[in-house]
Amino acid sequence: MTALARHRRLSAAWASGPGWKGWFSTVNHSDVGRMFLVTAFFYFLVGGILAMLIRAQLATPHSAFAGPGIYSQIFTMHGTIMMFLFAIPAIEGMAIYLLPKMLGTRDLAYPRLTAYGYWCYFFGGAMLLVSLLFGIAPDGGWFMYPPLTGRIHSPGINTDFWLIGITFVEISAICAAVEFTVSILKYRAPGMSLARMPIFAWYMLVVSLMILTGFPPLILGSILLELERAFGMPFFQVELGGDSLLWQHLFWLFGHPEVYIIFLPAAGVVSTVLPVMASTTLIGYRWVVAAAVALAILSFGLWVHHMFTTGIPHMGLAFFSAASTLVAVPTAVQVFAWIGTMWKGTPRLHLPMLHILGFFVTFVIGGLTGVMVAVVPFDWQVHDTAFVTAHLHYVLFGGFVFPILAGIYYWLPLASGRRRFFRLGNVAFALIFIGFHVTFLAMHWVGLMGQRRRISTYAPEDGWTAINLISSVGGFVLAFGLVIVLIEIVLHLVVPRRSRRNPWGAGTLEWAVPMPPPAYNFASLPRVTSREPLADDPDLGVRLARGEGYLGDARGGLRETLMVDIATGEPEQHVVYPANTRLPLVMAAVTGVFFLSLLLKLYWLTPLALAGVAVLGWRWVWQLGSDTDLGCQPVGHGLALASASETDRPPGWWGSAFLLVANATLFGSLLFGYAFLWTVAPGWPPAAFMEPSLLVLVAAPAGAALAVAGIALAVRRNRIGGDPTAALLAALAGALCLAGAFALLLAGAPHPTGHAYGATLWVLGCYGLVHALLVALMLAFLLARQRAGYVSRSRRAELAIVPVWTGYLAVVTALILAAVYLPGFAA
Amino acid sequence: MSDLLRILVSPAAWLACFSAIYGLSGIVCAAGPGAAVADGSGPRMVLVIAFLLAVLLQVGLLALVWSARFGAEPGLVRVVSRISAVTGLVATVWTLFPVLAASACL
Repeated sequence: MTALARHRRLSAAWASGPGWKGWFSTVNHSDVGRMFLVTAFFYFLVGGILAMLIRAQLATPHSAFAGPGIYSQIFTMHGTIMMFLFAIPAIEGMAIYLLPKMLGTRDLAYPRLTAYGYWCYFFGGAMLLVSLLFGIAPDGGWFMYPPLTGRIHSPGINTDFWLIGITFVEISAICAAVEFTVSILKYRAPGMSLARMPIFAWYMLVVSLMILTGFPPLILGSILLELERAFGMPFFQVELGGDSLLWQHLFWLFGHPEVYIIFLPAAGVVSTVLPVMASTTLIGYRWVVAAAVALAILSFGLWVHHMFTTGIPHMGLAFFSAASTLVAVPTAVQVFAWIGTMWKGTPRLHLPMLHILGFFVTFVIGGLTGVMVAVVPFDWQVHDTAFVTAHLHYVLFGGFVFPILAGIYYWLPLASGRRRFFRLGNVAFALIFIGFHVTFLAMHWVGLMGQRRRISTYAPEDGWTAINLISSVGGFVLAFGLVIVLIEIVLHLVVPRRSRRNPWGAGTLEWAVPMPPPAYNFASLPRVTSREPLADDPDLGVRLARGEGYLGDARGGLRETLMVDIATGEPEQHVVYPANTRLPLVMAAVTGVFFLSLLLKLYWLTPLALAGVAVLGWRWVWQLGSDTDLGCQPVGHGLALASASETDRPPGWWGSAFLLVANATLFGSLLFGYAFLWTVAPGWPPAAFMEPSLLVLVAAPAGAALAVAGIALAVRRNRIGGDPTAALLAALAGALCLAGAFALLLAGAPHPTGHAYGATLWVLGCYGLVHALLVALMLAFLLARQRAGYVSRSRRAELAIVPVWTGYLAVVTALILAAVYLPGFAA
Repeated sequence: MSDLLRILVSPAAWLACFSAIYGLSGIVCAAGPGAAVADGSGPRMVLVIAFLLAVLLQVGLLALVWSARFGAEPGLVRVVSRISAVTGLVATVWTLFPVLAASACL
């Protein structure tokens, strides 16, 4: 087969639908990555306009530009949009677009999940945007502290938009994190061991694990605050056993790692682009990987440094002050590795390099002021002043926007196949760099002079007028610079000057695909023998296009790829992806109906939306698998691999395992909240404990045991060629029995509005009930699949997934029962 | 997955111990005014013992990661897991040292 014939066959299998209608059904990672990036930069524009409004307001004293109410909406939405609708989705978009190409594969692990994540982001972001247009946007600050955001002080719908819209958007982040984790671990080019992975993939692996463990506390906090606002469950009301500090803990358990979730991918971009710009390789690759891991985990031990002024005892302050200073060490390891790389190589001052230098200067200053605010007495002085606002902008703009701009200019020729024609970027960089430092150096200064954050105005006699005016002028210069970047990118896309292949002389695999990349990325998959395959073999791209790699024969119009062993990268399984479908869009829309029903208090619609999600989820999974045994599939080079549906560790098993990591973090956060209220909040212990129910105490463990034993027996029966139906029915009965036990527990629980104790028990019971019903649904699905002929002794993948969920259900059942009844027994 | 475990186990253990001892300090302080002056007293000793156990755990993990039996094969994972193990130990000593020096509940 010629390269052109192969290209045509693969394109027919992988391409999205024609025209704009294709956007709604595409599941291809390049398409979805581009959609993420375009949407994220649209929100960057919106957030930037809001920033200009803030600077216009503060440019002069006694400004009448915006009243305090509108101003509160503006600064709240500026922070919210930049953090949740720009930074994280931009990272997701970039990683979705690049990772499969860098890893030498054809798509991410779950293409439909990629598309579902995008549409959740699209609809969730649209909810917040609509609130802004109608003047009912969130106005409680981007971290939404109660009691200000409780229903007493914020009775309108503004806060609900934030709580529900952001939770909706965070589904997208969780989907992407599962996707990236499994893709990086299992979907790589043959031979790409962990030691040969591109450094960007290491960073994204670390970040994905951080998202899985960092986002659930905020999701839980948002659920609890919305329950308080909508139904009066007093988690944060101190007079009823709640505590507003619980919100701060849950928020910053998310919020501090969030800073590193934003920074680390940008550091991954720097670690990728900088060596190419310096015509060398990254110095200390292994130390950089270790530093990224250390930084990620240390970042989870810093959350209380945002709460130094809340009256925490000295010992607690000292713990978090020490941890906050420690985090500078792995950051410095990376900075020194980058400096060493420049020293070793020959840096070329191309535009990406200019942005990297801008990053260095800005981020190091931000890091140093970070060490300053880690010192408790200094933090007490500057807490909630403009100094902290300036610090966080140095860290986030310096640590994220400069590297992302470097990455955009670096990978733009890859995505477009074109080279820059108009040289506006250098002017833009100068304006951005100068504008940024004028704006935020001045803001440090005025913060040290006592200007508080979020104030809508000030008096001339405060002495802040000139500095604020300088800051505002700098802000507009910065904005002009960013507009020029936008203009240059648009011009780049409309002026057809073809770029040569691999214009920077990079060694990583994304430059081995044709430019612009076709939907299938690689006509055949490469075998990797080093960290920079393209540097070893500059003709690799041509050889792959000739079909000299794996899966080069484009059989039967299928979207094929390989799964590999995590450590060695040796091929393990043959995977066939699902094709284009509108199912992710429809599923996200129905998920959106669920969130809208909560926002608009249309509670009759909520169960209907949930049922819709369940039906679509059923259809989603039903489309996978096969009703005939496939056996081993030839993948090229004389190798034949088992089909993923005929293994014990299919893609769904890996996805479930990492999704449960996020789920367990959410549950752990709930238990933490319970313990926190018990030990810290006033009004505890409650006046009366919940009466133990013998029926619940018997039915719940029995149901869990039956479910676990039933599914284990079903797996064993199937393995020896027997009929698993009876065992599956027993497991289903167990799950339903457990659901009944949780319903009984809820019926006997104290009223959830009387005290935070009752509210917490109610949430624990609902958590158990939802999971019991979910497992029951999975077991019913297995029964249906078994009857329809999709399960056989060989086709055992689906049977391998459900025990993971059943086991998790059993563990949380034990913990819920202990949390609910042990305090009563002890008392 | 075992390679990932080798890399993550020590810093993750630090995070668990750090959070647990912070929680423990809260429980000690919630126990009543007697715990407020916690120097050489029972509550202080509880915290010190927890600190020492956390350090011991990290030393044990360091030895495991370094050992021929449980450590990784030569290469990237071995180097990174050893650096992570040292990080876990240093972080435990540095961030939990205040149990020996700071006032507990003031």
